[in-house]
Amino acid sequence: MEITLPKTSTVIAALLRADFTTLWRNRRAVVMTLLVPMIIVFSWKAYVAKAGGAFVLSNAITLGLVAIGLMGYPNSIARDREKGVFQRLRVSPLPLWTIMASRLIVQLGLILLLTVLVFISGYQFDHITMSVGGYACTFVAAIVGGAVYLSLGQVIVGLIQNPESVNSTARLVYFAFIMAGMLGQFEEFSGEFKKAVEWTPYGTVKTILASSLEPAKWDNHTNMALLLTLGYIVVFATLGIKWFKWNTK
Amino acid sequence: MNPQQQANILEVDNLNVYYGAFQAVNNVSFNVLQGEIFGLLGPNGAGKTSTLSAVEGLLKQQSGTVTVAGYDTLKKPQYARAAMGVQLQATSFQPELYVGDILELFASIYKVALTKDKLNALLSEINLADAGNKKFGQLSGGQQQRVSLAITTIHDPQLVLLDEPTSGLDPQSRRQLWTRIEAIREKGNGVLLTTHSMEEAEAVCDRISIIDHGRIIATGTPQSLIDKHRNDPEVIAVSRRGRITLEDVFIALTGSAIRS
Repeated sequence: MEITLPKTSTVIAALLRADFTTLWRNRRAVVMTLLVPMIIVFSWKAYVAKAGGAFVLSNAITLGLVAIGLMGYPNSIARDREKGVFQRLRVSPLPLWTIMASRLIVQLGLILLLTVLVFISGYQFDHITMSVGGYACTFVAAIVGGAVYLSLGQVIVGLIQNPESVNSTARLVYFAFIMAGMLGQFEEFSGEFKKAVEWTPYGTVKTILASSLEPAKWDNHTNMALLLTLGYIVVFATLGIKWFKWNTK
Repeated sequence: MNPQQQANILEVDNLNVYYGAFQAVNNVSFNVLQGEIFGLLGPNGAGKTSTLSAVEGLLKQQSGTVTVAGYDTLKKPQYARAAMGVQLQATSFQPELYVGDILELFASIYKVALTKDKLNALLSEINLADAGNKKFGQLSGGQQQRVSLAITTIHDPQLVLLDEPTSGLDPQSRRQLWTRIEAIREKGNGVLLTTHSMEEAEAVCDRISIIDHGRIIATGTPQSLIDKHRNDPEVIAVSRRGRITLEDVFIALTGSAIRS
């Protein structure tokens, strides 16, 4: 009997429908992820006048990206791997890459939603407005920045099999990034510490986001941050894919 | 159907699977015919699931070939997987999805048009008419197995692979599942199942292979294996019921020691 394979677009559409449904039914967790950056925008009102709207918005978006990439993505992958969800899909005729592509597209959708919500809350709470070009550039920068944390999440889920350990490690890395990233910007800390934080994944993503919001301020420092960001993506994604196992046995 | 006239739907030839230095499957060869239920029996760790995993494409064999419906699983993996339906030992789905969502997902993956009416008919067929809006995790073990088998056979595959399909089921659910497996055979499709249950092997399998330490040590119909080994001293020694059963033959061939 002649076998015909389903179209890749049909398979991707089916997987996306399932993955978006899963995300929708987990909306409480999603709301919590999106709420924190909005709270940052609201509570950092004082910094708008002092450091500028781009500073506040870029920090809020970066914080959300870290949460999506390090908390949401690796935990869902680790859980489904443990339950055998991937094994069930692997024995069907779909191309393997479509399983992960669908998961990542859902996360990218979430990143875009986060960015829009931060823009809206920035306008609502702090009356921050940017140029159209600034908003457009920030969407692209948010995708690039999100890719850093998603690939770092992939490293965690590649290195660690147990879902509980993935969860605790992701929390630890999340905490470390947030603490170093946010505290590193305050004047109370030494210049060396601040400089080091600037080149961490938190710092570089924040830099490209801030410059994207105000494209006129894009300079050589931003170029270096962008290059380093792309380097982080390549290294983390390569390691994350290389170490990833589809099952826990 | 006369076995001589039936075509092979699965051919496993000199299959070897290693985990590091450990050889889990050692030169295993067997075939499954159209309209045949073939059982792979063996103690824990004998190599049943490893063999099945190599057929399914979850494990890559170091040597040997596996051909499903004429497609080599290494050269044409997607075509081979499209020709088979697989029920894994421990299958789960995203816990947020309802049974209806899961069936729709797999129908799309297998290129099956599933309208609302067809979905309802499918659920009614497995006696789960009201389960479409329930989550998979909310179903009982027997109900989960029925949903899982419905997904496995949603595209009417030429080969159905079932890894210990009745383990943990009550007798009623087990009997019902046997009927469903026999219905697959009646359609002319092949079934390869692994099981620990000799009762199951005798009840539903047309032929069986006993595998131990990664090697196939006996193949035949359940009755032919009983007849062949009826007078072996080892078989008589382990016999408990005054008559020789497939379980006696199995224990005599694989030993009485408990496997991990």
